[in-house]
Amino acid sequence: MEINDEIRETMKRYLLLLLICTTALAVSADERTILLGPKTIGPGWKDNILLEARHFMAAQPGDVVTVYNDNAKRTAQGAFQDPKDWQGVAPEYGCFNVSGPFRMKLSEDMLTKLRERGCYIAGHDYRILRVTLTPGSEFVEKIVWRGPAKQMRSDWSVSAELPARCFKDLKVGDGLVLHASKVQEGAAAKLMDFTWNLLEPATDGIPVGPDGCTYYINDDAPLLKLQFAGNGDNVAMRVGGKDYRLDKVGIISFVGQRNEDLTDAQRAPKEYKLEPGELFHGEKVFPNDWSGNLRITAEPFQECTENDVVILHYELLHKTEGVTPQMSFRENKGKWYDITGAKEPVWYQLDGNDIVLTFDEVSLDKVKTSGLVVTGLGFTLSRIELISAQ
Amino acid sequence: MRKKLLFAFVIVLYACGTNEAEADSAINMGTGQEMTEMAQKTSPLPVNSNATDATKALYQKLRSVYGHKAVSGVVANVDWNIREAENVHKWTGKWPVINVFDFINIHASKDVNPKGWLDYSDMTHVDQWHQLGGIVGCMWHWQVKANNGTNLTCSPGVKPGETSFDASQVYVEGTEENKQAIHDLDQVAGYLKTMQRKGIPVIWRPLHEAAGNTYDYEGGGAWFWWGAKGPDVYKQLWRWMYNRLVNYHKLNNLIWVWTSQIGDDVWYPGDDVVDIVGRDNYAALMYPLMKEFNQLSEQYPTKMVTLAECGNGDEVHMSLWSKIWRQGSRWSWFMTWYDYAYNNGQSEDHQFAGEAWWKDAFESGVVLDRETWKSMMK
Repeated sequence: MEINDEIRETMKRYLLLLLICTTALAVSADERTILLGPKTIGPGWKDNILLEARHFMAAQPGDVVTVYNDNAKRTAQGAFQDPKDWQGVAPEYGCFNVSGPFRMKLSEDMLTKLRERGCYIAGHDYRILRVTLTPGSEFVEKIVWRGPAKQMRSDWSVSAELPARCFKDLKVGDGLVLHASKVQEGAAAKLMDFTWNLLEPATDGIPVGPDGCTYYINDDAPLLKLQFAGNGDNVAMRVGGKDYRLDKVGIISFVGQRNEDLTDAQRAPKEYKLEPGELFHGEKVFPNDWSGNLRITAEPFQECTENDVVILHYELLHKTEGVTPQMSFRENKGKWYDITGAKEPVWYQLDGNDIVLTFDEVSLDKVKTSGLVVTGLGFTLSRIELISAQ
Repeated sequence: MRKKLLFAFVIVLYACGTNEAEADSAINMGTGQEMTEMAQKTSPLPVNSNATDATKALYQKLRSVYGHKAVSGVVANVDWNIREAENVHKWTGKWPVINVFDFINIHASKDVNPKGWLDYSDMTHVDQWHQLGGIVGCMWHWQVKANNGTNLTCSPGVKPGETSFDASQVYVEGTEENKQAIHDLDQVAGYLKTMQRKGIPVIWRPLHEAAGNTYDYEGGGAWFWWGAKGPDVYKQLWRWMYNRLVNYHKLNNLIWVWTSQIGDDVWYPGDDVVDIVGRDNYAALMYPLMKEFNQLSEQYPTKMVTLAECGNGDEVHMSLWSKIWRQGSRWSWFMTWYDYAYNNGQSEDHQFAGEAWWKDAFESGVVLDRETWKSMMK
């Protein structure tokens, strides 16, 4: 009996220890998914998705938001925008090239905004698959180049040469951290291989923030370019740019793992492939703060006639005191005047039934010339159809 | 009764004759066709009264097909080549008529810069294009020193990479801008003069898109330095250039094309120094294009109107040429823009106008290729 009790006690202690370890691992959370796509960010800066503020309540300076994506066109660009003014959450996140996953390292200033309002992921010509938040502690940095520091002049004429030995441990998924100082407005970095060619198109003019910037190796191509240089003291990479001082370069590696728990993850609205005759199919919320709108180009209207109609399907949002759900239709240019030609918008009061938009000579001319903008509040748009009289 | 029968017989004969004439003219692709009413309103000769015979002949041929057919064209891949024309030939088996060269990189031309990477004084492509029956066009993204003293740019502004180059000083003798502009323009004049010596007429489209997006939205403005000081300065600049090339350099092989940004009539340099009015459009949809064509034709009835640059936009695909034509546009020619990435194997799709678009254009029956054009010029 005594022996059994002792064994039981020991087992209890081990189980407790195991439980504590497991809990600790779960709490450290590693890379956690905060938004699950897909969400298409189409052409023309017209699409975006709001990362809700709740995701950032427990975040710390140094944590990293990663946007995994696919279908990026070679001209694709991304942005993390403050909903307050549509500017970058920090200047270096206002507009950057997209070619593979892109990231945002959080600072105290940025967190203040994010905890209050969240942020939009915007841009054009790519599709978001998943957005994650990773504690900064899950990244380990090793400084591989310590200068002498190089002042990058405004004319892009200066560059630093980094020898091959700096990159001997570099692998796909790692990030090159350019530590910078004396950063001026509009500062940008350019990463080239030893032949002065760009490591990849996205490394031409990487926006440099107050402390520098980070470039992540997303596939083998840039890695191979660096390896072509050989080893040792051979120049493998040239770091150029303008309006900043390059102090040192580090390599950061992710040492954690992905937490596959999606309980708290935000879901992107459902996406549908457009069928013939459809102008929109999805879930586009027009919240009560008037911030919702949907732009449609003139392209699908090119062969329209006055006999054609547009039918809009929607669902009303939960009733809110003092809010009357309504919708209006504007021309897709300038000051978004009403498609009737009136300077004041014509409002359609929404009762849950579909809206049928008919054309006259004026409105037809406007949609064929510039397209259509749907504005309003208090509803979720689900589908827009263009019905041809023919 | 006999009279009535005779009358009916004459009518039938006339109808048959008309059908034959129409069929014949369709085969002739414009030759022998009556000039359209629209074409008849345009000036019969170029504005330069000393224009060479070859230049007059080119202008008149463009005029004779105006409204009946569209002349096909492409721009070079950036500067001094026929790369885009080769794409069109690969896709369709036909060559476009016009190849437009851009003097954007004259500063890097080997005849003036030992470290240069291209040579504008080497006229091989221009010569061959002309000899094979094509039309030579030239445009000029006129780059000047940026504010940082090193870069070259066309973009006006005060940032290091932009330029404060003052267009209003270009035509003021003795200013730095005047000296620089004369230096650059005389270099370009040298190349154009070589073409003149070789008997090559040139469709010349300088100082384009001057109004930028001034009239597109509130807060819009010029995006090239030559428009940054407003319409009055721009018009004087145009006339200064016209005077230097035509009267000083005696260049009589140029057909002068001015580019409208729509709604920018106050920027128009004048009927006496412009042969053709162009429009650049990268949201080239058939309906708005038709409206723009009609607007420009009404505004400048004595000038032919051309789609001087076109292609897919950021958000829309350019309408097929068959549809653009069916909608009523009768642009004299069109010129699709180049795709550097495609031409360098970095992209599988042409950003501005790819195979399907060009196939439709030539299959539409209203677009002239180089072979047809050559036969018409004989």
